Amino acid sequence: MTEYKMFEGCVIGNRIPFIEAASRKVLDKIGVQTSQAPFACCPDPTGVKSFDNTAWLALGARNLCLAEAEGKDIISLCNGCTNTLRGVQHQLKHDSNKKEAINKELAKIGKEYKGSIDVKHFVDVLLSNLDAIKGAITKQMGDLKVACHPGCHYMRPVEWMDSDDPLRPKNLKEIVAVSGANVVDYEELALCCGNAVAGPFPEHGDAILKQKYDSIKKAGANCIVVNCPACFQRLDGEQRNLSKKFETEYNIPILYITELLALAMGVSSEEIGLKNHRTRRNTAIENL
Amino acid sequence: MTLPLGIDFEFRKLIMDVHVSSDKIKYCYQCSRCTDNCPVAAVANPFYENIFDPRLIVLGTLLGYKDVVMALAGKKSAIVPWGCTVCDTCDTVCPQAIEVTEIITLAKNITTGAGLAPDSVVAQAKSVFESGKAIPSQPAIERRREQLGLPSVVAPDVNEVQTLLKAIGADKKL
Repeated sequence: MTEYKMFEGCVIGNRIPFIEAASRKVLDKIGVQTSQAPFACCPDPTGVKSFDNTAWLALGARNLCLAEAEGKDIISLCNGCTNTLRGVQHQLKHDSNKKEAINKELAKIGKEYKGSIDVKHFVDVLLSNLDAIKGAITKQMGDLKVACHPGCHYMRPVEWMDSDDPLRPKNLKEIVAVSGANVVDYEELALCCGNAVAGPFPEHGDAILKQKYDSIKKAGANCIVVNCPACFQRLDGEQRNLSKKFETEYNIPILYITELLALAMGVSSEEIGLKNHRTRRNTAIENL
Repeated sequence: MTLPLGIDFEFRKLIMDVHVSSDKIKYCYQCSRCTDNCPVAAVANPFYENIFDPRLIVLGTLLGYKDVVMALAGKKSAIVPWGCTVCDTCDTVCPQAIEVTEIITLAKNITTGAGLAPDSVVAQAKSVFESGKAIPSQPAIERRREQLGLPSVVAPDVNEVQTLLKAIGADKKL
């Protein structure tokens, strides 16, 4: 049995741990084993990388060294962390000067980056365990009409996130379909949630998010399923603000894909802390 | 060195070196697919002051016009380059496979050195320097983890993180 090093990331670990609870329950049920490691921040591919690419490389490589020391692949619960760790591997693999320079810095803390392990996004792990997922599902999910939002960093850039079609992603939809819920297609599937631009330019971020919500509303979805904690916080946390700002009602509950699967597998909403969501649950979710 | 035209050869060289083992950026033929597919360009253009145009950024940086990156002309937290939301759509649609986001990232990196980055970006880097995490652990969240039956997050070695950031000189940009 493969055991992965769990990379829960800063947002899930230290802000919205209920997503980690649901994810661990699902991984347990399908027989995926994990263990912990003292990982630092990945660091953020939109924040620290924008701040200093070399710092991003060095801290990312340090995290990879921790998993390399145990000879185990990493499983990440977050788009950003996966994108960073894979992106760092990509830059160091294709640029020997950078690799040499980073290893010179890593030597100061007694580490060396080799590039010997792989980094898996948890959606890809779920995808390779579809039969186990099917076998663990006990509930009827027929009332849910799900709009999927896989988020940019799960599938772009293709150079190092080569697991799905970068503009017409299908993996998340496939997993939702396996859960028994209905998948609703909508036009803006591949559109960004606007998280990174919303920091310095909230007007622009809100305008992008509005397009996303409008497209999802038009499609008649009663639930949005995501696989990224940054997207989750933004989609779950901004509906009230946008409703007021654009005088339109946005009130669609957001579920992490592992929350959806945990519910489908008969885990109670209390066990996975579903009450901590900002957007209120609707009857489609209450009835599960 | 900056010529009267505003061409900065050092800046141009940095841009040319951005790509992983490639000089693909030279082959940009300004088709504008990047801008046409950019979600920020789509919502930024109506705001007269806040135009964000990846095609122009590629052209300007390729020619060495450093001032095309507004922040480099001394404007803190300017829309160019900080309007980029790092969705990597431009990279995906570019027919020449130019990594536009990497060019914009380099521009961002240069502005952080000049103290012109948005406060939110600097705050995140500071948090990573001080605690090893972008979001430090808090007692309330630790209690919630316990209630949910989760193990504690294993604390990272902050000394190692700080040693690396100091060795690179990133601490001086904080």
